[in-house]
This record gives sequence, C-alpha cells and structure tokens, in this order.
Amino acid sequence: MKAAVGALAACVGVFAAFLLQQALPAIHVLHGARFLFVPMIFCYAAMVLPFPAMLFAAFCTGLLSDLMYLNVVGGQVEIALGCSIVFFVIYGSIANGCRPSYLRGHWWPVIPLSVVCTWAFLLMQFAMISLRREGFVYDEAILWRLFAPGLLAGLFAPLLHAAVKPFAALIPDNPWDTRSY
Amino acid sequence: MKKLNIALLLAVLAAAVYLSVLPPDSMQAAQAKFLSLLAPFLRTGTAVQEQIGSMGKGLKTLDEVEADNRKLNEVNRELLTTNNLLREIESENNRLRLALEYRERSVFRLLAARVIARDASSWWNTVKINRGFEDGVETDQPVLTEVGLVGKTTTVAKNESIVVLITDETCRVAAKVEGTREQGILSGIRVQESGAGGELQLNFLTKNAALEAGQKVYTAGISNGVFPSGILVGKVKEFRTRPLDGQAVVEPAVDISQAEDVFVVVGAK
Repeated sequence: MKAAVGALAACVGVFAAFLLQQALPAIHVLHGARFLFVPMIFCYAAMVLPFPAMLFAAFCTGLLSDLMYLNVVGGQVEIALGCSIVFFVIYGSIANGCRPSYLRGHWWPVIPLSVVCTWAFLLMQFAMISLRREGFVYDEAILWRLFAPGLLAGLFAPLLHAAVKPFAALIPDNPWDTRSY
Repeated sequence: MKKLNIALLLAVLAAAVYLSVLPPDSMQAAQAKFLSLLAPFLRTGTAVQEQIGSMGKGLKTLDEVEADNRKLNEVNRELLTTNNLLREIESENNRLRLALEYRERSVFRLLAARVIARDASSWWNTVKINRGFEDGVETDQPVLTEVGLVGKTTTVAKNESIVVLITDETCRVAAKVEGTREQGILSGIRVQESGAGGELQLNFLTKNAALEAGQKVYTAGISNGVFPSGILVGKVKEFRTRPLDGQAVVEPAVDISQAEDVFVVVGAK
C-alpha cells in the first residue's frame, strides 16, 4: 500500500515539477540554461521506492516528458512518445540499486544521481534532435544548457530530501523512523 | 531479480515501444489532450504572474483614465477611417487585378490570442496560446503581431495551441528581401542566446547578392505554403558569402521573448 502511495506521490511530484519548470524563466547568466526538477524528483523516487513502484513512476515521468516536449516537424516527430519512458526505466533501474544504501540511512546518493540523470536526459534529447536535424552543432551556449541544469539539480537535491523527510512515514521501509541523519 | 519484476519491466518496455510506433497524428492528439489538462494550471500561473507584475502599475486617477479614453477614441476613429479607405483601395485593386486576369488577393481573418506559457525546454522555441480548435484554429496556421511574423501553430487542443516560433530551427519560411530579387529559406538556429531577441538565418541566397544591413525581409508566399506573401519577418543584420551560396543573418521584427498578444491567421475573409 505504501509503495502505491509513494508511486502516486512521485507522479504528482513530477507533474508539479513540470508546472514549476514552466513558470521559471531561463537563467540569462547561464546562457539560457533552465531549472530541471523532473529528473531530480524521479531519481529520489527511484532510490526510495521498491522496483515495481519505480517502474510505474518511470512510465509516468517518461510519458509526461514526451508529451511535454513532443515536436512535430513536417509530419515527423523529433522525439517519439516512449523514448523518455525507456530512458527513465533504464536510469531508474540503476538508481534503484542505491535503495539498500538509502534504507541504511544514506540519502546523499540522490545528489550524484540527480546530476547525472539531468545531464543524461538533456544529452539524449540533444542527440535525438541533432540526428533528426542537420547534424550536431557546437556552441558554448549548448554546453551551458547541457551541463548547468544538472549542477543546479545537485544543489537542489538536499532541499528535496529535507522537504520529503517530514513525510517519511509514507515511504516504504523508511529508515528515518528509528534513526536520525 | 524476481520474476514479477522482470515481467513488469518487459510490460513497461513493451508499452513504450507501442507508443513509439504510433503515427504522428495520434501522438499530437495525445499531446493536445495533455495540453488541455495542463491549461488551467498554465492560465492560473499566467494570471498570477500578471497580477504580481501589474501591482502598483494598474492604479490610475480618474483624470488619467479619461485622458487615456479620449486618446484611444481618437486613435480608434483614425484607424476606422484608414481602414475604410484601405478597403476601398483593396476592392479597387481586386477589380483591376480581375481585369488583368490576376488571382484575386484575399484578406485574411485574424483571431486575437494571448500567450499563456513559454516553452520551458532547452532545445525548442515554442509558446502556448489560449485559442484552440473550438475557436477555429488549425494546425500550420501563421501567427503574427502587428509588427511581423511570430511563427505557426503545431499541436491544436480544444482551447489552446502550441506555436512554434520562427526562431526555432525547425520553423522554415520562404522569404524574400525588399528591393531585390533574392529569395531564400529562413529558419532559426539551434540555440538562441537567452535575453536577446533571437537571430534567424536566410539561406540559399545567391553568392553575389548585394544585401545591406537594414533591408527588410518579407515572407515570399509560395503556393501551398503555410505563410501568405508580404508579412514582415525582420531585417538583414549581416550578409555572409559561403562556398556555394550566400547567407544573411536576420534580426526578427517581433521581439518574441516579449510578445504577449498575437493574432492567428485563421483563413480568408
């Protein structure tokens, strides 16, 4: 039951993150890089939830991402529905490997996981649109837009943990009932 | 790994593969439904932003409101007069074109729309507007402001639509340069520098095109194309000669990052 609630909460969190991302402007000093909270929230959910619940969260996150970024050009879809689902399933399976560590009270792996997930997600998008369009292009702004959101996600990940911790009773097998961190 | 987990994993991957082979139309229909679901939140967010932005600005004295009203009435009368005059000229022009056996030039019906959200992605330049198929909007309709071209509609939901901007690499417009016979394909660039109005590139010009900074660029209006002829797109900023052709860097006429009120060209009158 707790796993189902957790998976549902992760999906609601991802949806809220999309709305928040939509409301936040690009950061001019970082060459137009943006805040990306979705990979970070998914990573936290993938680390905390049991495998079946993680799969459900990966499906919802991937589907919402694909619907959000679907771009049809001349009757061709740049990133087809389902691509992000595969990405989040693969990455979620890796992140889920850190669950035993989380159950022992170590929450910090969410930081590197969020950073790498954000980078990998943006790289996947960039690679897919580059293959569809006129090939890869190099620009300083592209590097900023690829790497800055991941670093920002790493900065925000501890805040996410601090925000989730009061609701730890809802997390399956949570370690915070008996110990402090 | 438990057998149940493997089965679930395979089921999710199978669902992803099934979704990835759907035709583009079905994907767009799914996106339109998602957009309708998202719209109330986006509209609320925009309303809150506007409220916060207009705090203190919206308060005017009665005298100021009266002065504004007088000025607006004056402008309105002037515009009505100009409009009537132009209508007469238009009908006269059409009569003369008919006499010369030219195709009659149609006047387009514009639908006012408001930008409710800007794209929060790193790679695409799109906006969402508050008009959809219930208002008569269809896919691939031009979107413009009184200053010039903004983009075209892609996914159209019930009361919202996504507009791909001319600054996006995937939005291509057949364009011509004022005062010359030069025509080319105009498109955005992969990553627009944030904060600036954006840059466009006009490709496939002749190598020896003598373009000068400041020359205006208009849509060329090819047959069966999306954009009608004669809409201002921007002005030439720079001209470069390449091994096979010439390329002009064009500054968009509309500051797309600031545009809030736009018009969708929904069809001929």
